[in-house]
Amino acid sequence: MKRLSRPAGIYFGVFLLLLAFSSQALSQPKDTPTSQSEQSHTDSAKLTLRRAVICEGIKDYAPTNPAIVFPVSIGRVFCFSYLDPVPEKTAIYHSWYYRDELITKQKLSLRPPRWATYSSIQLREYDKGPWRVTITDQANDTLDVLRFSITD
Amino acid sequence: MKSFFLFLSSLRWTDVIDIAFNSYILFRLYVLFKGTTVLRVLIGIAILWLFQRIAVSLNLVLTSWAFQGIIAAAAIIVIVVFRNEIRSVLQAKTLRAILWGSPHKAVQTPVEIISESVFDLAGKRHGALLVFKAKDDLQEVVHSGIPWNGVLSKEMILSIFWPDNPVHDGAAIIEGDRISEVGVILPVSRRKDLPSHYGTRHRAAAGLAERTDALAVVVSEETGKVVVAQGGKLRGVHGKNELARSLGEALGLQVEKKRFSQKRQKLELSAAGLIAFLFITAVWFGFTRGSDTLITRDIPIGYMNRPAEMEILETSANVVRIQLGGSGAILKSLGPEQVQVRLDLGKAVVGKNSFTITHESIKLPPGVVLKSIEPSVVDVTLDVQAKKELPIQVDWTGKLNFSLALTDVKIDPQKITVIGGRSILEKLSTLYTEKARLDTIEKSGEITVSLALRPASLKVAPGSKERIRIAYTVEEKRPKEAENRSEGD
Repeated sequence: MKRLSRPAGIYFGVFLLLLAFSSQALSQPKDTPTSQSEQSHTDSAKLTLRRAVICEGIKDYAPTNPAIVFPVSIGRVFCFSYLDPVPEKTAIYHSWYYRDELITKQKLSLRPPRWATYSSIQLREYDKGPWRVTITDQANDTLDVLRFSITD
Repeated sequence: MKSFFLFLSSLRWTDVIDIAFNSYILFRLYVLFKGTTVLRVLIGIAILWLFQRIAVSLNLVLTSWAFQGIIAAAAIIVIVVFRNEIRSVLQAKTLRAILWGSPHKAVQTPVEIISESVFDLAGKRHGALLVFKAKDDLQEVVHSGIPWNGVLSKEMILSIFWPDNPVHDGAAIIEGDRISEVGVILPVSRRKDLPSHYGTRHRAAAGLAERTDALAVVVSEETGKVVVAQGGKLRGVHGKNELARSLGEALGLQVEKKRFSQKRQKLELSAAGLIAFLFITAVWFGFTRGSDTLITRDIPIGYMNRPAEMEILETSANVVRIQLGGSGAILKSLGPEQVQVRLDLGKAVVGKNSFTITHESIKLPPGVVLKSIEPSVVDVTLDVQAKKELPIQVDWTGKLNFSLALTDVKIDPQKITVIGGRSILEKLSTLYTEKARLDTIEKSGEITVSLALRPASLKVAPGSKERIRIAYTVEEKRPKEAENRSEGD
């Protein structure tokens, strides 16, 4: 109960790169398809989660030190997701659970043709224990479940 | 007067039965053990108990403790020492005789025949020794008897003590109208105050009379005199009538001439009955109405008639605090098993059920009154059992070496089916293991841990594994990162 009463804004930080950078910059512009045919092919493809990890940080648009056990002393953990292809402008959700209790659910916008994004939570001493992040699409289909632990 | 009738109206019919039943038991004990040493010892124990209660009321700690010990020891001694008397009362008599029988002997000893036979033997100078069994068991004090079991007659007595008969030197034991044994050897008295002309028969009669409540009649071979021995005393008897009277009195026989004695006996029994009633009534009131005391007990709630398909998920209270009233003696001796709170789940439904705890829900011993219950309403949430397959997650704990990163875990089995309440299972999406320690991990390896099933009502479904094998992979962190972490720590 104590956990739920904590302001969500203080609790975790979500850093969307959507407006700060161009979509190309975020999603590795060198791979961006340019031809019309390729574009139409991308539109018909299904949204696919290529990589999802829990990590200690994000550096150069890539996760650093992905693992499944993190000491509480690192202060913050990140859930990194890379989707390719992204057929259309859409969103995914990162739902953070401490044991079976939903702590926060964050909407992350995506743009074609591919997108990398992440959410994070700030860690407190009493956050030690098993966690999981459920990644779902807009239709509420589960794309992946990442399990990890916060320890001493 | 009004208060007396008010008091009478407060008595329940079960109280009346309680008093009457125990009064009758006490009365029958008196009737059965009347005249025996057992009754005298029991009266002694009762007096000791009375003293002990007085000592308790005066707060004499050591005295009451000592009395208590003596009473406990005396109760055991009575059973051990007087086992034969108790056995003879309980075995020799029929159930009807124990519950209802008259203290008079059912079978009368023909005292006239015996008197006539004894003085015939005396006239012929034939020595004889006859033993009349009373309430005490003789088997432990006599030896070498030959079973006879013949109906008593003058001819039989004369033939037994005929000088050429091989058994004439021993004693004949008479029980009721039968001679049960002949040729019996009795214990010889070692008294030095007996007259010098008394022979072995007299000493044997005296020895038996000293040890038991039996009566012995001796016919002297030398003098032809008849002597009666009972209760350690020997006295001469002159004439058949005197002997018949002595036998009748000593053995409690019903002789027509003793109408006065019969009346006296009836009066004695009536008085005994009345005393038994008054005594039990006093004890009953002492126990149940002695002093109004209140105690508070926390009693765990028991549930019965739970539908087989349901399980108790949650209760608003596991114990109820009840306040009980009654006499201090009863409440002090109140055992935890004597007070029970039971709720009937026979009509319960899935979900939350509210039960009001009434007097009917609480089982109390007689004499104890329920004053209050807290809480008076208990909510019980029931659920239907269901199965669910759930993924397993490792619950890591401790501190991993800062230079290592735990990068991968493989769990076997990955999912396990559990059984539990449907509403519990609906809320569960993951099963966790018991704590898995990180401190000892230096390289990739395997450990096995148990499942931590919470709530405890969850059970692993038959066929599912309860032990989880964890294969983990650890990797060295890049030097710079490890260094940074070390500095941070």
